[in-house]
Amino acid sequence: MGTADAEPPCGCETLEVSAEAAAILLSFAMRESEAPAVELGSALERLGEGLRPLEGGLVREALARDLAACVRALQFHDRLVQQLAVIRNLLTRLTHHPLPQMAGFGALRWEELLTALRERLAAGSHDELFELLVRTGGVGVAGGVGGEPGEGSCELF
Amino acid sequence: MARILAVDDSPSMRQLVKLALSSGGHEVDVATDGVEALQVAEKQQFDVVITDVNMPNMDGISLVRELRRRTNYRFVPLLMLTTESTAERKQQGKEAGATGWLVKPFDPNRLLSIVTKVLT
Repeated sequence: MGTADAEPPCGCETLEVSAEAAAILLSFAMRESEAPAVELGSALERLGEGLRPLEGGLVREALARDLAACVRALQFHDRLVQQLAVIRNLLTRLTHHPLPQMAGFGALRWEELLTALRERLAAGSHDELFELLVRTGGVGVAGGVGGEPGEGSCELF
Repeated sequence: MARILAVDDSPSMRQLVKLALSSGGHEVDVATDGVEALQVAEKQQFDVVITDVNMPNMDGISLVRELRRRTNYRFVPLLMLTTESTAERKQQGKEAGATGWLVKPFDPNRLLSIVTKVLT
């Protein structure tokens, strides 16, 4: 007969720590992705400025088309951040200590968030959280902009 | 050429809207939320305002409502640019006084043509 005594107990505290760690991890990933997205946007702005004085022609048209494609595609970041924010907010509802609401991801708020978490989590959980945070890697970009119904639509009233 | 105010809490979205409209020869200013947009709009007059809906401090629908209360923005085109596409939210925007509802992601050329259309 098999026994399950090797399984660690999974109580409310574990669930809460996991939910908080997941919420923090999401916030971290969102914050980390902001700077590269802005950098890409700035690079596109510079390309757009460089394109403006060029005379019309096939090359200019092709570059303008590519630039427009970049503008369309880079909006994936805004969508991703919004979706992650919803998930993060759902996760924080699982905890007894809701994390400070973060509209932006400025350093000050981030520090406040970490301080609050540090005060609440047990020492063992600090390690677990730290492991989670440092493991955050790059975000793969696959495909283009999604295809939800209504996307890209315009309705003038 | 028009003077346009783009309002979005996402830095990359502000850049992309600015880039798209600048390529059409428009002059674009940006604001990060409704409160900042109101401050900017009081300092100078814009021909079009394009705003996101969900933003901290003041959302886009409240911004439209506030702008419509000002005589100098009563007839200025106010466009919502958002990921939200429910009929209920659109109705809220319409009732607040929005001129149109654009769902993200936007196509730069389409955005330019819509701006041209609402300006004429």
